[in-house]
This record gives sequence, C-alpha cells and structure tokens, in this order.
Amino acid sequence: MAEAAVSVRPEKPPRNWWLWGTALAFLVLMTWWSARGIGFSINELVCNIGGGRRLLQESWPPDFSFLPRLFAPFLETVQIAIIGTVVGAILAIPISVLAARNLTLGMFVWFVDRNFMNILRTLPDLFWAMLFATAVGFGPIAGALALTVFTIAVVSKLYSESLEAIDMGLTEAIRAAGGSWWQMVQYGALPQSLSQYVSYVLYGFELNIRASMILGLVGAGGIGMILETQRSNFEYERVTMIILVVLVAVLVIEQVSAVIRRRLT
Amino acid sequence: MNPSAGNSATGIRFRKARVVYPNGTVGMKDLDLEIKPGEFVVIVGSSGAGKSTLLRAINGLNPISDGTIEVGGRSVPQKESAELRRLRARIGMIFQDFRLVKRLTVMSNVLVGRLAHVPGWRAMLNLWPAHDKEIAFRALERVGIADKAWIKAGQLSGGQQQRVGIARALAQEPSIILADEPVASLDPVTSRQVMDDLVRINRELGITTLVNLHFLDLAQEYGQRIVGLRNGELVYDGTPDTVTEADFQRIYGRAVTEDDLKLSGESHG
Ligand SMILES: Nc1ncnc2c1ncn2[C@@H]1O[C@H](COP(=O)(O)OP(=O)(O)OP(=O)(O)O)[C@@H](O)[C@H]1O
Ligand SMILES: [Mg+2]
Repeated sequence: MAEAAVSVRPEKPPRNWWLWGTALAFLVLMTWWSARGIGFSINELVCNIGGGRRLLQESWPPDFSFLPRLFAPFLETVQIAIIGTVVGAILAIPISVLAARNLTLGMFVWFVDRNFMNILRTLPDLFWAMLFATAVGFGPIAGALALTVFTIAVVSKLYSESLEAIDMGLTEAIRAAGGSWWQMVQYGALPQSLSQYVSYVLYGFELNIRASMILGLVGAGGIGMILETQRSNFEYERVTMIILVVLVAVLVIEQVSAVIRRRLT
Repeated sequence: MNPSAGNSATGIRFRKARVVYPNGTVGMKDLDLEIKPGEFVVIVGSSGAGKSTLLRAINGLNPISDGTIEVGGRSVPQKESAELRRLRARIGMIFQDFRLVKRLTVMSNVLVGRLAHVPGWRAMLNLWPAHDKEIAFRALERVGIADKAWIKAGQLSGGQQQRVGIARALAQEPSIILADEPVASLDPVTSRQVMDDLVRINRELGITTLVNLHFLDLAQEYGQRIVGLRNGELVYDGTPDTVTEADFQRIYGRAVTEDDLKLSGESHG
C-alpha cells in the first residue's frame, strides 16, 4: 500500500518547438518559392477574372439538346473503362503479390516487379494512350489498353501494400498443410484482403471514367473525343453538357461503389 | 467408411537436433527424442521453452541447423520442395489462434486440408472432387459440427472455431497431428472438450499426436506421456503420474503454487 502511494508520475515531455517551427517555415518558403517560379500573382488573377467570367457566361446554360448525341460516345467511354478496369485488375493481382515483401518469390523477383510497377506509375495515362494509339491506331482499343496499364498501376500500388499487412499465420497454416506457394496466396492471402482489393478496383474504375475524358484528347475514343471537337469549335455550352454528363456518371459510380464497399466489410 | 484408411501411424525421431534462429537465438538444443507411432504426447514448458520450435521442426516450418529429424524413418527435408510438401500433406497442424479464413465458410476452411491431395488445377479452380468433399464432411462429423458446414467461420465461438481447425487437420487424413497450445485461447470447460476430442481422435484413428500445453495440470490429465522442455532442452520425459515437485521445479524454474492447481481442482469439483 505504502509503495503504491509514492509512485512517481512521469512528466509530459516538452513539445519540440524547434522542429515544428522549422517545418512550418520550410513549408511557407517552399510555397512562396514555387509561386514565384510559376509566375503566380494575386494581381494578375484579379485582372484576368473578367476573361474567366466571359468563358463561364458562354458556357452557360448547358446545351441539353446535345444530350442524345452523347449517348453513343458515353457508352463507348463506359465500355473502354470496363475493359481497362477488368483486364487491369486481373493483371494487377500477380503483380501485387510479387511486389509484396511477405509473399514474393525471392529478392530478385521482388526488385524487378517493384521497379516495373514504379515505371508504370511514373508514366502518365496520356503517354500510354499515345503509345497504344501509335501501335494499334486511334480509337477505343488504344483507350482500353491505356486504361488497362493505368489500372494496373493504381491497383497494384495500393493492393501490394494491403497484402504486406495481412496475417501471415493463415498463410503458414496452408504451408503446414502441404500447400504450394500459389495455394498459399490463393487460399491464404487473397481471401483475407478481398474487400480491400474490390475497393481499389472500384476506385480504379472511377479514375478510368474520369481519365477517358482526357484520353479523347489524343484520339483514344469515347466521350473525350467529342469533348475535344466541341472545345476546338468553341461550342462551350456543349462542353458544359459533356462535363455535366461525366460528373453525374462519376458521382453515380462513387455512390454505387460506396454501397458495395460497405457490404463487403 | 474407414477414414483412417491409407494412413498408418508414424513415429518421429530427433537425433541431436538443434534449431538456431536467424537472430542467433537457440530454440532447440541437441534434442534426442523418440515418439512411437500412435502415441499421445503432451509437451509442457513455460513461455519461450521451445515447445513451438519443437513442433514446427517436425513439419519443416523451422529448419534445423544440426542433427536430424526423421518422420516415419525418413529425414525431414530442410528446403521448400515437393518432397517437403508431400510430408506436410500427412501432418495436420492445429494452432492456438485457429488460423481460419473468417469470411469463408467452415467447409472452405476444412477443404484447405485437401489442398495437397487434389490435382493442382482443381484446387486452382476451386473444383473439389466429391470424394474430397466427403472427407471434409466426415472430418466435421468427427468433431460434431457438420451442421455448421455452410456458416462463415468467423461467426462461430472459439471452441467451435478450434473444432474447425481440428477438422481441417483431419481432412488431411494425417498420420501425425501437431497441436500448438490448442486450448490456450479457450475457457476451461471448452478447453476440456477440445482436449477430449484430441484424445478420442488419437484413440479412434491411431494418429500420432503431439500437443503443446502451457500448464502441467492439463498435461497430467490428458497425456499418456509428458515431455518437459526448458530453454530448448529436454528436462522431463515420463508418465503423467511420476512428475515430482522437483520435476516441476526443473520444468518451470520455480516451485508449485496454488495457482498451478486451480484448473485441476475445478475439474474434480
Ligand atoms: N522466429 C523467431 N526468431 C527468433 N527467435 C525465436 C523465433 N521464434 C522463437 N524464438 C525464440 O526461441 C525460443 C523458443 O521459442 P518457442 O516459440 O519455441 O517457445 P514456446 O515454448 O513455444 O513459448 P510460448 O509458450 O510462449 O509459445 C524463445 O527464446 C523465442 O524467443
Ligand atoms: Mg509457442
């Protein structure tokens, strides 16, 4: 009893103000330096706001009569996104597994796969669209191939990290029962991380619908191609309509995937 | 209708077997031990004594750095290989934390025990032969939870989950069962039920069974033979009724206390 009474409570260690101060100063300096670098100034922004307003006025209201003509290209966009997502999501599985330190087949395979993944991710989707457009010609096939690569890049990065966090006890139980490496992955690792995988794939699908607008710029099919023609013809009310359609599509997909994700967990 | 058809109980022999972990810890020190086919052996020791190390050396989960371990007269391969997988296919393992896929059905979990027994492409496509499903069902019947076959494993109680773990091991049609503290996360009553299951399976099917237990009282109650470990060394090997207080001292490094007798007291009450 007497012993408990004299227990000494440790004092809260002081906050490291120096560290916080330096970090904050560094951030402010970096921002200022960057703004200077790109020639950003509040003055100019205010002066040019008139131009922006004119553009906005020309873009309003959206041209609803244009809507029926969007149906076919929008469908094509969705199809491109579906193919890119499905094929990419399947290919992302082995790539993620080999990039997860706890599951990979040796340091060499891990290293090669990791770097492959990083290269995929570093190169932008536009690059892939142009590459495939030159390879297979302009059109939806090029778009689907570009989105496949894009999906692999997005999903494998996220999923390999989820795989590294799985409970290895289960995979060990499968090895103990005489399971092979692939059986350990298929029956031990993947079922544990299925819900994360599905939510990354749905996220990839959202990004793909969005990306298909940009892909149109290089003639990779879908609604983006219409967007590009209308924009270069200064048909801003139609451009607004197109943006609205994509916006609604993305919002709907987001809601649906949120529901699916909730049911999975 | 004979689930044990094809497996003959298998003996295990350690000869100066030594396990050194990558960080230099010696988990097992030149162990000499022979376990006869069909024996029910309980291994006791305090935390860190090397109980898990011993079990995991038998199915090659922990490689040995010296000496040999023979299972059924053949030495345990020390590298991941088809031969090692074939050996593991006939050794069932049961874990303290069950190690089930919680979001899959009980049946799917038990079928994991058949993975090494069906052609690779079938396992890959999840196309299980009727014969193997039958084996899985019989394994569930043997531990009395066949009615739970299509329920998700995560929805079962701890004791039921451990029975699924046992059924998974039985589905391997094993000649050896290794149980690493199978009752450590269960309450005393459930612990006894699970231990009873293990003893019954050992008697009915003649499967050589090694069970790690933390506490001596449960070991004395169930073991035909008790092996005591301390710091990776064998410090006791004998029948349950000949354990003296000196033996206890050697195994646990301290004298017997009231607490140690609590569990057995309950069982007689
Ligand atoms: N993977 C590992 N790496 C390094 N040392 C380990 C490893 N696993 C076990 N050890 C060490 O080996 C010794 C024996 O451990 P082991 O797990 O076999 O003991 P145990 O008797 O099963 O203990 P517990 O009752 O806590 O499960 C301990 O000193 C432990 O710290
Ligand atoms: Mg242990």
